[in-house]
Formats: sequence, structure tokens, C-alpha cells
Amino acid sequence: MTTFTYMWRLIRYRQGWYIANAFMWTVIYLMPIFPGLITKAFFDSLTASEAADFGTWGLIALLLGAALARCATIVIGFITDVNFRFRMGMLLRRNLLEHVLKEPGARAIPCSPGEAISHFRDDVDQSEEAVSWSVDVFGMTCFAAVSCFILIRIDAQMTLLVFLPLVIVVVAAQLATTRLQKYRSDSRESTAKVTGAISEMFGSVQAIQVAGAEKRVIDRFRKLNDDRRKTMLKDKLMTESLDSIFSNSVNLGTGLILLLAGQKMRGGDFTVGDFSLFVYYLTFVTQFISNFGKFLTYFKQMAVALLRLTGILQGAPAAVLTEAHSLHLSGEDADAAAAALPKDERLERLEATGLTYRYPETGRGIEGIDLRLARGSFTVVTGPIGSGKTTLVRTLLGLLPKDGGTVRWNGRKVEDPGAFFIPPRSAYTAQVPRLYSDTLRENILLGLPDREDRLERALHTAVLEEDIGRMQDGLDTVIGPRGVKLSGGQAQRTAAARTLVRDSELYVFDDLSSALDVETERKLWARLFRERGDATCLVVSHRKTALAQADRIIVLKDGRIEAEGTAEELLASSESFRKLWHGDEG
Amino acid sequence: MGKKKGLNATRDYYAMLSRYLLPQKKPLIGLALLLFTTIGLQLVNPQIIRYFIDTAQSDKALEPLYYAAAVFIGFSLIQQLVSVIATYAGENLAWRTTNRLRGDLAEHCLKLDMSFHKSNTSGSIIERVDGDVNALANFFSSFIIHLAGNLLLMLGIIILLFRENVLVGAGMLLFVAFAVYVIQWIRKFAVPVWAKWRQVNAEFYGFIGEHLEGTEDTRANGATGFVMNRFYSLLRRMLPLRRKAFLGFSSMWITTIVVFALGNAMAFAISAYLWKAGSISIGTVYLIFYYTELLAKPIEKIRTQIEDLQKADASLLRIRELLATRPRIEDGPGAELPAGPLSVELDNVTFGYDDDPTLKEIDLRLEPGKVLGLLGRTGSGKTTLARLLLRFYDPQQGSIKLGGTDIRSCTLPQLRSKVALVTQNIEILQGSVRDNLTFYDERISDEAIALVLRELGLGGWYASLPEGLDTPLASGGGSLSAGEAQLLAFARVFLTDPGVVILDEASSRLDPLTEYRLEQAVGKLLTNRSCIIIAHRLATVQRADQIVIMEEGRIVEAGSRTKLASDPDSRFSRMLAAGLEEVTA
Repeated sequence: MTTFTYMWRLIRYRQGWYIANAFMWTVIYLMPIFPGLITKAFFDSLTASEAADFGTWGLIALLLGAALARCATIVIGFITDVNFRFRMGMLLRRNLLEHVLKEPGARAIPCSPGEAISHFRDDVDQSEEAVSWSVDVFGMTCFAAVSCFILIRIDAQMTLLVFLPLVIVVVAAQLATTRLQKYRSDSRESTAKVTGAISEMFGSVQAIQVAGAEKRVIDRFRKLNDDRRKTMLKDKLMTESLDSIFSNSVNLGTGLILLLAGQKMRGGDFTVGDFSLFVYYLTFVTQFISNFGKFLTYFKQMAVALLRLTGILQGAPAAVLTEAHSLHLSGEDADAAAAALPKDERLERLEATGLTYRYPETGRGIEGIDLRLARGSFTVVTGPIGSGKTTLVRTLLGLLPKDGGTVRWNGRKVEDPGAFFIPPRSAYTAQVPRLYSDTLRENILLGLPDREDRLERALHTAVLEEDIGRMQDGLDTVIGPRGVKLSGGQAQRTAAARTLVRDSELYVFDDLSSALDVETERKLWARLFRERGDATCLVVSHRKTALAQADRIIVLKDGRIEAEGTAEELLASSESFRKLWHGDEG
Repeated sequence: MGKKKGLNATRDYYAMLSRYLLPQKKPLIGLALLLFTTIGLQLVNPQIIRYFIDTAQSDKALEPLYYAAAVFIGFSLIQQLVSVIATYAGENLAWRTTNRLRGDLAEHCLKLDMSFHKSNTSGSIIERVDGDVNALANFFSSFIIHLAGNLLLMLGIIILLFRENVLVGAGMLLFVAFAVYVIQWIRKFAVPVWAKWRQVNAEFYGFIGEHLEGTEDTRANGATGFVMNRFYSLLRRMLPLRRKAFLGFSSMWITTIVVFALGNAMAFAISAYLWKAGSISIGTVYLIFYYTELLAKPIEKIRTQIEDLQKADASLLRIRELLATRPRIEDGPGAELPAGPLSVELDNVTFGYDDDPTLKEIDLRLEPGKVLGLLGRTGSGKTTLARLLLRFYDPQQGSIKLGGTDIRSCTLPQLRSKVALVTQNIEILQGSVRDNLTFYDERISDEAIALVLRELGLGGWYASLPEGLDTPLASGGGSLSAGEAQLLAFARVFLTDPGVVILDEASSRLDPLTEYRLEQAVGKLLTNRSCIIIAHRLATVQRADQIVIMEEGRIVEAGSRTKLASDPDSRFSRMLAAGLEEVTA
């Protein structure tokens, strides 16, 4: 998508507001025409021999009236501007967020969250600025046209000589902006590095404190900051030089008027009033040019922003960014409830064949995995670290984009696993679950209506009810950013409850009990076996309690299936499994 | 009340300036000189125009008119050049000073204890350390100089007008005083709205950040709609605030328009009166008009400066607040802990995160070089105990000594270089493998790192890294499996030389085989070190010399492992029996 189409589509999103805004700002820009004419009339009334039309006091009254009228239009202009701008910027953010949430969950953004935030913040702001300024350009062009007309009627030759340098300036600026674009992109990059570093630092604050590495981390941060200063300065110097060329044209223009006016003033056909009008409009015309330059700069910056925003989309077309959607500003929420599953879609068997995923950074991953889950079965995936257990479940559920293989649900091929494997078909607990700074209840329900005390049942199965009983605010306890106010085991069980509260055909748990003590773990597995009904379970674990009760165990090694069977069979047949089983007794 | 607050704000600004800006004397003086040059040039130009008009109206020769025009153009060119240089210098100064502030703020935040980090998302810290400081950037770079420069320009204009005529001078002086007062007054209304807008913005990016991290959970549990609804409800709160903030801005602009219309009106009235009285020339009338217009510049500049200050006000307040947040844990006077294994002594330690104590009257002693197994259910206070040893918190009662030294007398770096902690939550930074292991400590050689990785059984993994130790790791671990990440956390400790090692459920994410292998490496790590192993699995405490069992914040059993194991009535032997059941279940 070109930058221009991008801008056009953003304008079209709320064109009513845009048109209103464009109209208001055109009026605002046209307003200074009047004070210029009044000033001219004032000087002319002093120098002319015959009596003036209005007299000094009349002119003063007109001057004040014009100012008040301008103020009124400005207030309205700000209101239209903020309304348009907010909607447009937030549409971009909305579309970005929605797209990120649609991507394979484990690879949703191609950069660190800190960097992504800088895209959400700065790149959208830049786009907003550019689109908003397009209105100003239109208004200012109108002003330039009207003032030109007035000036030409006074003295055509002089007008030409004043406006000509301005045209040259615009062309020069055009040529220079390619340079600017590069500097801008450098400076934005170094800014993203700084915000990324902050996000990393405070995401890992405990590790840094434990290691006593505060000073070293900060030294590196200061270095990044200094890199940013250098790129910013280049950027600023370039922008400022351009700006200065723009504004210098006022003085240049005034100088030119002075050069030409001497002769004419002596002759009497160019009055002091005319002179004052030329200089007065010149200021605004230059402002127009510098603002036009500003707009060009913003436009170029928007091109950079568009490039970076498209980067986040990871290959999706840029049109996703500007798709029109409601922002629900008037209060009605979109429907978030999942529809019930039709009977014939209930899970009978889930098969995967030749499932393959390789991490682009290391080339490791899983290779040609075949898997079959029957209704109501309990399957455990196990294997040494780095053998691909988590990668397997993520790829199966579409949380990583698979490089090969097919997944079939009741024999029917699943085209988009990421969109398919959601409640009520499946629910999932990640190995390191993420919780949000909200209440415990919201973290578990995530917007799901609490029907038929299913929350209570989920809490029970996840062995969480005692913990909640001990909390002062119970389910309404606010658990802090990332759920840090919970212990590791509580966070894990909260995530399990989040999964269980969603009545699903398939439950997938990745390393559910790693942070649990023996007693809690035993309770959890027992309840899960007893209370899951006929739901199918796929579990990553190396705990004996889970392995012993599994219908089927899949042993992974180096990304491939090494052995399969029940615990008993595997103990007899697989050396690796015996090692895994007995490891902790050795 | 209002006055007092204003006074405080002034003091805040001064404190910031004297700490960050004033030490930069040379750039400041250079910048001042550049600005004074432009002011001089700006004051001269209208005089040239007056000379021009009056000469043009007379019958004198035309030639001087061309010279006047040429001088005018020359002066403007010089003025532009100087102003570019001044902007560059100002910007440079701004980045230098704000970078120092950014660094200091980040450093301060890193030192704050977990109670701070538990209530602030990293997204909202970005808003503080970067967003708020950006808002201060202009304040640092040019505020003082622009303010002084523009006041000077204003003063110059008024003096020159007094030279023309006392009436004009007095009128303009009055006008300027009025304009500055009104603009200052209107500012009061815009500041609080702006602060609220920044606040809700910080919340918004905190929200975005959290959900960018949690995409996996959101996606697979079908909560996308929920997240979007939260997003919309935030928007509904943001729009009215943004509208108000914009109206605050427009009120500033409107005020200046009205004020300047009044100024022009006054200039018209006075000069028309003087002209009709015959006391000034038409050139002088234009000069008065031109100077009145020129006055708009400094007042406008002062307005935008104040606008920036408005944004800065709110930001400065929050930065001061942040800097004033003292960590609950402060450095001690400094005491070096002895080298080699350290004894650990807890004497009557009571601690609670709130009024309800989590640890109650704990007495504990571990000889140097020995291993303590700490058992107990989730929530019994084991992890809290570990946190106290690293001084993430201080006990409300009692004392903790390492190697006979009270840990409150050490500085935090002194303490934490001697006490190592491995937890089950591993934080991987975006950066190379090396950076993640050494935390930018360049004294650690690559050979040492490779050796440690091999000892931990990560030799194969290390060999598979495409760029060796320079291979980048994604934020949060990315392509690392959770088990590998946990081994890396061990490697971090192996690369330092602690006297006490605390392993808090450190191997819970490992499969039994890897855990077994790790045991061998850990055995090596623990030679000649004291160790506390926190576990809820019995297998993990097999190497312990001493066992402590905790329940609801108290020690309910303590003793040597072999002794407890052989006593059939001890909780430990009962747990052993239960643990065996787990194995045979």
C-alpha cells in the first residue's frame, strides 16, 4: 500500500468528521485575511488626504471583532480535530491489537513487547499527525489563493517576485526530504531500542537484582541513550535547517519588497498601507510554506511509520491496518461469548500427521510428528528438556505456524488451527501462563459469563478454592501486573482454572504441576481425572502421577517421537522412558 | 494552599535544574551567546524599515534605499544561520541532560524493591522513564534560555519604544504585563486535564503491553473478544479526557489571539493620536506597529514554553514522586562478607508483607559449607525466607547474619554478590546468550562460560547455536525450552562466586533425567559453599545435611537429615513414606 492510499483510507474511515474538520480549519486559516486588510486601511487612513470610511475607532472595533470571530472558529476546529484524530489513531491501534491477537499466539509479534509498544504509541501518533495536518494544508492553500488574488490586484509584479522564491523553497524541501526519511527511521529505531531496553530491564528486574547487575545494566542503558541522542541530533539538524529555509523566506521576501518598493513608493502608486499588507500576508504565506513543509515531513514520517507498522503484521497485507471497524465509543460492547458447539462437531478423534515446526533462529523444533487422540482419552507427552514437548502442543493448536503436516478433527482437515482450537473446542494452559493486572475472577473468566456455578467447579478442580478462601478479597483480589502477587503455584492453578472454566472438548495443559507441592499436585490430578467427564486431555508432564494414569504416553526426543504406549509397556520397552521414570531416584 | 503548592513546584524545578542543567556551564554560555545575537538582529531590522519608509516618503536620493534593503536581507540570513546553530546546540544539551535523567531514573527504579515492581507494569515504567522525561526535554534544553532570551527581546522592544515616545513605551509596558498575567492565569485550567490524560495514557500502554505478552493464553482460550472489549472500554474513558486536554490547548491559543488583537488596537490608537498631533513620522507609526507584531513572538514563545511546562508540570511531579519513592531496603554502611562458605544465622526473625506475619519467630543456624533442605507446603513461608536472605525485604523483628555479619550492615551489591538465588521463574532478556549469562559483566571470559555450559549438560545446545555466545535470545526465552532456560539460570550462578546458594524450586521444570544430571553439576557448585534448597519434592533434598520443615510461617521440625529419617515419629520420615507412595502410585 502506498503512503497516499494509507492516508486516504484513514481519512475515509470517519469522513464526516474529516470534512467538518477540513471546513473548520479552512475558515480558521482564512480569518487572518481581515486583520491584514484592516491594517492596510489604517495606514491608508493616516496618509490619505480624504477622510477614511471608518475612522480609527471603527477600524479598531473591526480588528477586535475579527479576533473574536477567529477564536470562536478555533474552539470548534479543535473539537472536530480531536474527534477525528482520536477515532483514526485508535482505529489503527485497534486493528493492530486485533491482528496481533489473531496471529499464532506464541509468535504473535516479531519483536519484544517493549518495541511493539513503541509501534503502538509513536508510529500511530505519527500517522495521526500527518493525516490531521492534511487539513491544514488545504486551509492554508485557500488562504494563499485568496491573499494572492488581493495582492495581485495591488501590484502583480511585486506579488510574483515575492511568491517566486517560496515556490523554489518548496521544491528544494521536497528534494531534501528523502534524506530526512533515513534520519527519521534511524532515530525511531534507536528510540525503540531504548524503550525495548526499559521493558527488558523491568521485565527481568528480579533477575537483575538477584545478580546484583544493576550498575552494568544501567551502563548499557546509558549507552543506548547516547546512541539515540546522536541519531536524534542528525534528525533534528536536518528538520531545523529545512524549517529555517522555510521561515527565512519571510525575511527574504520582505527584503525583496524593500528593494522593489523604493521606486514605487516615491512615485506614490505604492502606499505604506500596501507595504504593510504585503508584509502582513507574507508572514502568513511563509507560515503556510513552513507548515506545508511540516506536512511533507509528517507525510514522509508516516511512510516510515507505515513500513514499521506493516512489519508487525508479519506478512499480512497492510490493508488490515485501515479496515473500518466500530470503536464502540457509545458504550455497546461487542459480543464476546462463544457459541455452543453443534453436536456433530463434538470431538470423536483428533489426528495429526507429519507435524513439523522449526524455530527460524536455531533450526530446531519438531519433525514429522504423528498423533492420534480418541474421545475421552488422557494422553501425556514427555521427554527430556529441549525435546520439543511445548513446541508440539503449540504447533498442534496453531500457536506456532506449522512448517508441515496436517491436523484433522473427526477426519476433517483443520485449515486454520489458530482460529479453530479455541473454546468450546479446546482450551489451553501455557507452560508459563500470563496473568493480567485485574481481579482473580476476571483473570479466570476473561469475559466469560459465570453460568451455572461453573467458576466454582473450575476452582475446585484446579485446587484453588482454599487459596482463595485465605485471600482477603477472595475472587476480587487484584493480582498485580502479570499476576505477580500470586505465588508460582497459585498462578499455575489460576491458569488451569481459566482453562477448565471453558467447557471444552479438548483440554491441553503444558507442564501443569511444575510449581506445586506433592499434596496439591496429587489432588489436582485426582480431581482432573474424576471431574473432566468425557473431555479429552493432552498433557505435557514428566510427573509419575500423570504418567501412571495416562491412557497413552508419547516420548519425545530431539523433536521426534521415540516411543509410544502406556507406562507399563514403555517401562518394558523403552530405555529412554525408564531413564525418565527412574531419573529422580538415581 | 495554592501558593504553597506553587512554591513547591518552583523548588522542584530548581532542584532539577541545579542537578542536571546548571553543571553544563560551557554549552549553556555558548547557547546564551547565540541567542543574544539573534535577539540583537531582530531588534535592528524594524529600524531599517523605518529608515526606509521615511526616506522613501522624502525627496532624498534613492540609493540609500537599496543599501537598506541589502543590509536587511543580509541580517536576516545571518539570523537564520545563528538560529539553526542555536537549535542544534540546545537540542544536544537537552538530550545530554535528559539522558542523564533517564539513566538516573531507571537506576533508581531498578533499586526499588518488589513491592514497587509488583504494582507497576513495565509499560507504565516506559511511560515514566521515557514518556515523562521526553515531556521534560524542552524544559531542560531551552526553557531557561528561551525564557531569558525572550524576556530580553521584550525588554529591548519596550526600551526602544520608550525612546520613540514615553506614551507608546508606557502603553506597551502595560500591555506586556497584562498579556503575561493573563496567559499565566489561563494556564491554571489546562494543567490538571493534561495530567489526567497522561495518566490514562500510561494505563493504556500498560494494558497493551500486558496483552502483547499474553497472546498465547488469550488466543488459545478464546479470550480475544474479551481483550477487545477491555480495549473499547478504555477508549470510552480516554476520549473525553483527550477532548478536554485539547480544549485546554485551544484556550491558550485563543487567549493569545485576543490579547494581541488588544495590543494592536492599542498601538493603532496611540500612534494615530501621536501622528495626528504631528509628533511622529509615518515610518515611526510603522515601526510601532512592527514592534507590536514582533512582541507577539516572545510572548508566543513564552506561551509555548509555558505549554511545554504544562506538560512538564505533570511529568515533573510524577518523576519527583518516583524519585522520592524510597526503596524499603537501603544500603547498609558497608561491610565486606568473608570469602568462602558463609554460615547462616536467623535469630528470632518475624516478618509479614502486611500486618499478618508470614514468618514467625524463626531461629535457624546453618554451619558454613553445609546444605539445608527447607520443606513445606506452598505458602508456608519458604520463599519468603529466601527473599529475606537477599534483603528483598527486611524482617520486622530479629536479625539475619551471614558469616557472623548482620546483613543490614552490608551494601546490597556486597550482599548479593555473595548470595545467589535460583528460582523457577526465569527471566530471559532480549540480547545475546552471553549478555543473558553475564549480565554485561565483561570480566567473565567466553571459555569460562563454555565450560559452565558443558558442565550443566548444555554442551549440545551450545554447539547448536549458530553464532555461538553472540546468538540472540528473544525476550522471554523464545526458542528456548523452559527447561533450558532454567539451566541457563543455573549457569548465571555458576559464573559468579557466591558464599551461599539458595535454590528455590530451581529444578521443578526439569525432567527427572536432566534433573539427575544437574545434580552432579550442582554437587560441584556446592563444594565449599553453604546452600539452602527449598523444595516440595523430597528427591531434591537428598543431599541436605540438615532438614527444616515449615508450616504456616513457623519451623515445626528441624534436625539432621539422617537423624530425622531414622526417627519413625518425625514428620520428615512420614513425608518420606508419603513420597514413596507417590513414586509407587
